[in-house]
Amino acid sequence: MPEQPPPEMVTISLDGQEIEVPQGEYIIKAAEDQGTYIPRFCYHSRMKPVGLCRMCLVEVETPRGRILTTACNTPVAPEMIVDTESAVVQKAQEGILEFLLINHPLDCPVCDKGGECPLQDQTVAYGPGESRFVEEKRHFEKPIPLSDIVLMDRERCILCARCTRFSEEVSGDPLIEFVGRGNQTHVITFPDEPFASYFSGNTVQICPVGALTAKPYRFKARPWDLEAIESVSMVDASGASISIETSQNEVVRINGVDNDATNHGWLSDKDRFVFQAIHSENRLATPLIRDDAGDLQPASWGDALDRVADALGSVRGDEVASIGGANNTNEEAFALGKFLRTVVVTPHIDAQVGDALNPEFLAGVTPRAEIGDLDGAATILVWAGDLKEEFPTLFLRVRHAVTQMGAKLIVVHPRRTGLDNIAAEKITYRPGEGPEVVRKLTAQGDQDYGAVRDLLTAGPVIALVGLTGRAEDPRLAEAVAAYALGLPGSKVLPLARRANVFGALDMGLAPTLLPGRVPVKSESGRAELESHWGPLPGEAGLDTAGIIAGLAAGDLKALLLVGADPVRDGRNPDAVRAALDAAEFVVSLDMFLNDSNQQASVILPVDGFAETEGTVTNIEGRVQKVNRILPGPGQSRALWSILDELSSRMGGQLGAGDGPAIAKEIALVAPAYRSMTWDRLEWGPERDGVVMPDRDGVQELRFVPDDSGLRPTAGRLALHSGRVLYDGGTRNTQSPALAGLTPDPAVYLHPRDASALALADGQEVDVAGEFGTVRLRLELDPSLAEGSAYVPANLDSTWVLGVPDVVTVEAQSSKGKKNEKKKGKKKGAGE
Amino acid sequence: MAGFIGELLGPFKGFATVMRQAFKPRLTRSYPHEMRVKPQRFHGRHVLNRYPDGMEKCIGCELCAGVCPASCIYVRGQDNPVDAPVSPGERFGFVYEINLLRCIFCGLCVEACPTEAITMTQLFEFSVTDRADAIYTKDELLVQADGTPNHGQPDGPLIDLAELKLADGWMRATSPAGRADFEGVPAWTPSAGVGLRPAERGQSDVTESEEEEA
Amino acid sequence: MTAVDLGPAHAVLEDMAPVDHGHAIPLLQNIQESYGYLPREVLLELSSETGIPASHLFGLATFYAQFYLEEHGRHTVRVCRGTACHVRGRKIIQEAIDEELGIGPGETTEDRRFSLETVACVGTCFLAPVVMIDHDYFGNFDPKKVGEIIGGYE
Repeated sequence: MPEQPPPEMVTISLDGQEIEVPQGEYIIKAAEDQGTYIPRFCYHSRMKPVGLCRMCLVEVETPRGRILTTACNTPVAPEMIVDTESAVVQKAQEGILEFLLINHPLDCPVCDKGGECPLQDQTVAYGPGESRFVEEKRHFEKPIPLSDIVLMDRERCILCARCTRFSEEVSGDPLIEFVGRGNQTHVITFPDEPFASYFSGNTVQICPVGALTAKPYRFKARPWDLEAIESVSMVDASGASISIETSQNEVVRINGVDNDATNHGWLSDKDRFVFQAIHSENRLATPLIRDDAGDLQPASWGDALDRVADALGSVRGDEVASIGGANNTNEEAFALGKFLRTVVVTPHIDAQVGDALNPEFLAGVTPRAEIGDLDGAATILVWAGDLKEEFPTLFLRVRHAVTQMGAKLIVVHPRRTGLDNIAAEKITYRPGEGPEVVRKLTAQGDQDYGAVRDLLTAGPVIALVGLTGRAEDPRLAEAVAAYALGLPGSKVLPLARRANVFGALDMGLAPTLLPGRVPVKSESGRAELESHWGPLPGEAGLDTAGIIAGLAAGDLKALLLVGADPVRDGRNPDAVRAALDAAEFVVSLDMFLNDSNQQASVILPVDGFAETEGTVTNIEGRVQKVNRILPGPGQSRALWSILDELSSRMGGQLGAGDGPAIAKEIALVAPAYRSMTWDRLEWGPERDGVVMPDRDGVQELRFVPDDSGLRPTAGRLALHSGRVLYDGGTRNTQSPALAGLTPDPAVYLHPRDASALALADGQEVDVAGEFGTVRLRLELDPSLAEGSAYVPANLDSTWVLGVPDVVTVEAQSSKGKKNEKKKGKKKGAGE
Repeated sequence: MAGFIGELLGPFKGFATVMRQAFKPRLTRSYPHEMRVKPQRFHGRHVLNRYPDGMEKCIGCELCAGVCPASCIYVRGQDNPVDAPVSPGERFGFVYEINLLRCIFCGLCVEACPTEAITMTQLFEFSVTDRADAIYTKDELLVQADGTPNHGQPDGPLIDLAELKLADGWMRATSPAGRADFEGVPAWTPSAGVGLRPAERGQSDVTESEEEEA
Repeated sequence: MTAVDLGPAHAVLEDMAPVDHGHAIPLLQNIQESYGYLPREVLLELSSETGIPASHLFGLATFYAQFYLEEHGRHTVRVCRGTACHVRGRKIIQEAIDEELGIGPGETTEDRRFSLETVACVGTCFLAPVVMIDHDYFGNFDPKKVGEIIGGYE
């Protein structure tokens, strides 16, 4: 967190006790910090107070005598005298609760909130004990769906407005609102418009009664038989704190945990409901070996590991390559890196599947911003993918900084983004013309973007820099970072999307990096590591693109896929598939079958999210602890234990006895992680995570981005291949609650482009690129730059297109049909 | 001295005890040919009750499982099918299992149940030859449509149906919410289909209204 | 559902421009003035044109009794059910009007001529029992004259 001046303190009297509290703080917060809990329903520490529920009434001494006032929206003043438990206050609390319970149904045994319900708890603690209301209660139709996920029981609602305030104030999609008046007031959406918010699950979590419920948890368990453990969401790399809650060894829900440094307690619905994939029936539960007939057969661990050890041992070390590892813990990534570098002895390691930024840039750009810096920023520059789609919790933090903390926002993107409506300035550019925008921003005296440049003179500037789309040249982000670092008081937050990609890079899962942010080319750094590990390959290895080419050319013989699906994520799906076919041996360590490992020789089931313990590193370099609450399904095992056993079969020694042992070795050999221990993250003030390198850590790699060598784009329609939150990825499709939310695939064109091509809205068109053709529905999107086509990445049909720089869009033709047929056949053969 | 005489008289004291017992009424029954009348509040095997219209009373709230000191109850709720509801309301007990090997027959589940779905009967004969058989599932626990509990024995000497139907007389040993005001108010419903019986008395002093009636 | 002509809505927006959150109620009033009610499509259009969330407009429209979300009759008959009118026989009046119009409170006749409402009090208790049709007051209402009075409105 950035340094902030200490607030001015005032002295107030709380229940006869003199206390010092910061000036301007609300009574309810000041009292809570002193250990006096004032009951409340509508007050939420992360939202503006409204004083709706009246539960927090306290007595305050005023010149007019003692008056009852709401503690949630009354700021403290010097010499204020507050009484929170006088007879008058107690009577008021009893009265409020009696009123609230007039229409609140007493179906607590049925209600999912029963057992953890603030209304229940506070009625016991502060209520009158019995009601004088004997009449019939108000009735509404029992739960009505607000969306595919959230249900609303209007009878139970106590009109605290937490949900409506959340969706207006925090998430910025005010789709629900109070409707009607008097005793018929209730919360609902505009008729037939669903509550289609990426953040709707938060309203369920903050509802102080059981009015809002989420389908995945509905009637699944009761609060008292839940077992919970804190962890970190593995959906994106922003490091949102969560609690994983299980009943009878089944994850039944995930709740947000208020982490001041990252998510403020909020989660996206994907963070919240993706746990359903853990219990998918498609999870791999036994090792699979391909038999002579070419079919995958269940096998014992012994046979499968023997097969892998034989295959990897029969080729030269540098004929082996590995792709993936960015969805595993740091410990697993470290074990994988050590296995590859010391047992197999290969430098060809890449955690990013060929669709992301230079690892040295991601790991080594300085000064690197923290998420908390956003709150102190004067100007925020977002030149990355649509944060709402790719980093939903970070999106909320940017929204918070802009709408609550007064930062000015500049968004640069080829299309509309979720942040546009709060942006002070928006630059829409044609994909491929990013360098031109950078040049115009840099050049003195250029007429364009004057307002943007004016805003950027006000520091501190925080720049969020990432790939705007998959077709973007990765070096553009470096050029943007180079530009941003020249701005006043600037810091850069590099964005890459896989859950623990920063941890994987820090653990050396990159062709150019060794553990602890040490470049392979650093002689001293390598020598230091060699003193622990023995001799290491001295040259940088191949990245994913190089590995694919190497496999196709026969230079590489064997491939490890660690939770990676390069067919779907690669630039050219057909080429990747051909490379996998050309490989002599492919072993996949994964939780699911996917398009890439269908053809693998051996598939080993690994434990995943909620099944492994370890640490992860987020975009800031913040290390947080993830915890295990479940065993993996069937015979699946932790990645490090598989690698440990493989090592001993291959005559090596990995020394990965258990998670803590690996964590200790990381602290020993990785300079940036020198002081990291699990204990620090589990106990005491550092439970929110520690940004590495900290006091003892050493940042060896200082990457200076430059803007040379960008490739220009030529062609009628430049492709913008942006990601969407609910994509066709495995976890999403294996979570029933989310699978239905995937948008229909379509291609988006600017209306003028469409009319130039004589195409109409809604028409079926063929989109063709260098690598494939796909038939999509056309939608008009005036927010696009002219001369570009937007195709959402990784939807069930769109991934076939690959990631060409330019595409052609034409009305459905016979040629297109033929192409598609061919494609369909190939896909069928692959499965 | 007294001790010595006492020792001498000891055997005669013993004879006297034997003679006294010989003429007392005998408690031993020749079970199973002759059954004892069990007290109304007997803590026997549980049943899951139905409402008179046949709907199940259990709503799957898991309070019984939560309160069970032996952790022998396993309940899962589910959304009530709208077109063919199993119980009134949104939720019904989808899975209900009691492991009677673990059960200590304390009756806390009955106390905890908000709908009086689970009660205890006079049934106590459920020896099993397989441990798995001691886990009673919803099929076995749920009473039949007319309120008759399922039981493993043939109707006959071992089963007194009339007694079974009176088997919930022990309920609410304390009046609802522990308040004497409610005494005399039938605050419970019996096993389904067996009708309503007068409330119990004697939990506190007789109330004024009752005195007037008398 | 038949398509609603958005032209009048755009005209209202143009008249009132610039429209922001503070103008939501007058905006809805003007829209109702031109359409007679607040069609769903128009509310969605207003929302996308002004940036006022559709849910807010819907909340306002349901909060105030003056707004109608469904097509309304050309004339509104309001029967007072205040205390004074109640004791002076509003029930009989209500029955007579219901029978005459063939609809109940909250409903609209099929020919869209009349909509029937009850109101808590129109503030003219000295005229009780009172019925309002559009802006006209009918005090000391005689249930026998229902047909005659109603007939005066087309």
